[in-house]
Amino acid sequence: MASRSVSPGGALLRASRMFSMPAPLPPPAQDAAQATFRSHSDTATTAYPTHQVITTFSHARKEGDWGLKRPLPLRSTTKSSTPMLRIKAIDTIEQITDYASGADHGLSLLKFQELGLPIVTPPPRGAEHRAEAAVGIRSVFEDDIDCTDVAPKDRPKLVDRRWRFSGPWLAGMSPGDFKKYLAEKVRPRRHEFRAFLMTKIVRDLNEARRERALNRGETWDESDEITAETVPGEIVSEFLRGVRQQNATLFKLVGEFLDLAPLKRPSELDITSLANSFRYQADVAHDTRNPYAENGPPSTHPSAGLSYIRTNGYMDNHPVYGPQKERKPVEARVLKPRTNQNYYAKLGIAGFVSETLSGDNIHNQKSAKSPLRQFDPDLKGGAKIYVHPSLASVDSAGKLLILVRDFVDPEAELVARELIGDGEGLFGQQQRQPVEEELSQETLRRKYSQKVSQGAEDYGISFGKVDN
Amino acid sequence: MSTKSLFRPLSLLRQPTRLYSSSSSPFTPSLTLPTTNNRSQSQSPSPSQSRSPTSALHELFGKSELSDPSKESFLSSSLSSLTGAAEEGLKQQHRTEMYLRKHPRNWRAGDVYAPHDLSPAEAKKWRGVKAPKRDVIDMLGVNPLDNYRNFSMISEFMTPMGRIMHSKDTGLRPVNQRKMAKAIRRAIGLGIHPSVHRHPEVMKMRGRINTGMTGGF
Repeated sequence: MASRSVSPGGALLRASRMFSMPAPLPPPAQDAAQATFRSHSDTATTAYPTHQVITTFSHARKEGDWGLKRPLPLRSTTKSSTPMLRIKAIDTIEQITDYASGADHGLSLLKFQELGLPIVTPPPRGAEHRAEAAVGIRSVFEDDIDCTDVAPKDRPKLVDRRWRFSGPWLAGMSPGDFKKYLAEKVRPRRHEFRAFLMTKIVRDLNEARRERALNRGETWDESDEITAETVPGEIVSEFLRGVRQQNATLFKLVGEFLDLAPLKRPSELDITSLANSFRYQADVAHDTRNPYAENGPPSTHPSAGLSYIRTNGYMDNHPVYGPQKERKPVEARVLKPRTNQNYYAKLGIAGFVSETLSGDNIHNQKSAKSPLRQFDPDLKGGAKIYVHPSLASVDSAGKLLILVRDFVDPEAELVARELIGDGEGLFGQQQRQPVEEELSQETLRRKYSQKVSQGAEDYGISFGKVDN
Repeated sequence: MSTKSLFRPLSLLRQPTRLYSSSSSPFTPSLTLPTTNNRSQSQSPSPSQSRSPTSALHELFGKSELSDPSKESFLSSSLSSLTGAAEEGLKQQHRTEMYLRKHPRNWRAGDVYAPHDLSPAEAKKWRGVKAPKRDVIDMLGVNPLDNYRNFSMISEFMTPMGRIMHSKDTGLRPVNQRKMAKAIRRAIGLGIHPSVHRHPEVMKMRGRINTGMTGGF
């Protein structure tokens, strides 16, 4: 294509921030919980941002210049120490720029990148809360599972390595969605599927004939091959009738045709699979090695562009104490302690919600004094504990899951506290706020029933007791 | 005297705590057990002889004022000292639950939160029951009319008074709302479902779910 000459104005616009903002993503997929009567909020921070977050220089910000169509009001954009905005609309019918603060996702990203965690394939289902979650998972940037550029003809061969599929993941579809998918996308393609099967059958037949001819010692020519036109159509129907009982072959064919994401055989811990294990062994000939078969393929690149670190096998170097055995632990907020209802305490690390591990570790001890067991309203700034985050993974819904280690090295914690100058907290105690007197009707009445002025005493004049 | 032989081992037991306060050697069996000054009940000249096992054990628990065994049984006093800790634990648990009610958001692993999400204004939005945002019948892919005999489903879309719920409470789209209402009318018309309250079996089951005592197979 010949390069078109662009006017200077056009060149300016193309290079401007306004034109370089990508289109907003569709909002995060709603949970199944949204179909029930459980509470939900529109203003809660979403699992991932949908709009580009922009920033600007300080000298431009104080004039309201964010590189957009008009300067933005100063009162709402200059007061924050984090100049981050998300622009919902550059220009609206009311001739304003619709913007909101983007610091929630912007700062979370910066905080996460400070942790320096590698992003890995999701842990096996059922093991997310166990220390064995790290078994068998690898960095998402490994060459054999990071296949981005795949030619259409190579797709079926690389089904064990790909993470992007144009068809859905059947195990993650709700029944209604599945029925809709069948009716809208699958049913109209029946003839196409028969033609696809015909080409496969013809190729297999030709292979068989060639083998036989070569075994007999005859020559085989291209002209000896049969083509789809010469073969009667009933062959496809016969083949389908025969393959109807063989789930594995059927899924392979249908999956190739519709480009479905691979499914994993249910694990052996499933009771129904134990009962039908005889049948399963007969049916499932090929178990995929795709790391995303168990929990579903991601909708973006598995790393979601959050971190490009490939390993956590590096050491921290302290300026005074030298190389450290453990990496720096991070202060995590205890969002919800363990109760009878929730078995795992919810921790907030770098703005992402994570959970403690199960098993015999320091997080699960029964001592009542731990902030993971009970809520203490007197703690200044809320309950916080130090944890060692180890790995991160992005699930198929786009949520970032941070895996936390089940112990905290006390030395590493002390060193971390010293680094931030937390001298008072050196012995593991969080500062407590002075207990304020409870405000109740009684206390208020008592407070205000006292006379405002005591008389002479208020003026510093005290007479002796008068004996009368 | 048999009681004397009982006392001596106890006195030996008691000895180590006095090790640092007295200069006597640790192995001299002292017949004078550590007594407190405000002991009004025991007036005997030799305290060891009048001390009962009960009072000695009380000392071990640190309850020296309860020396009179007749006044309070040993069992209740030891239990009260032991249950003191349990009581405290229960109190703390209750306090935790009361405070956690103010932040009812059900945090899921992978959620992102900002300081705004922890504010009381945002926390209030997560309280209480809300109308669903998505159509549950579409999600399940069922036909409500075929489920007129499914009492849990019929009762779910009914108010506790037996009235059919409005679509703003069910979250169903108009087609499904009409089908669901028709299924409810059909069940009530056939006489297989009550018309003024939810199905009693469903209420019983829900009651168990609420107390967490479901014993399912």
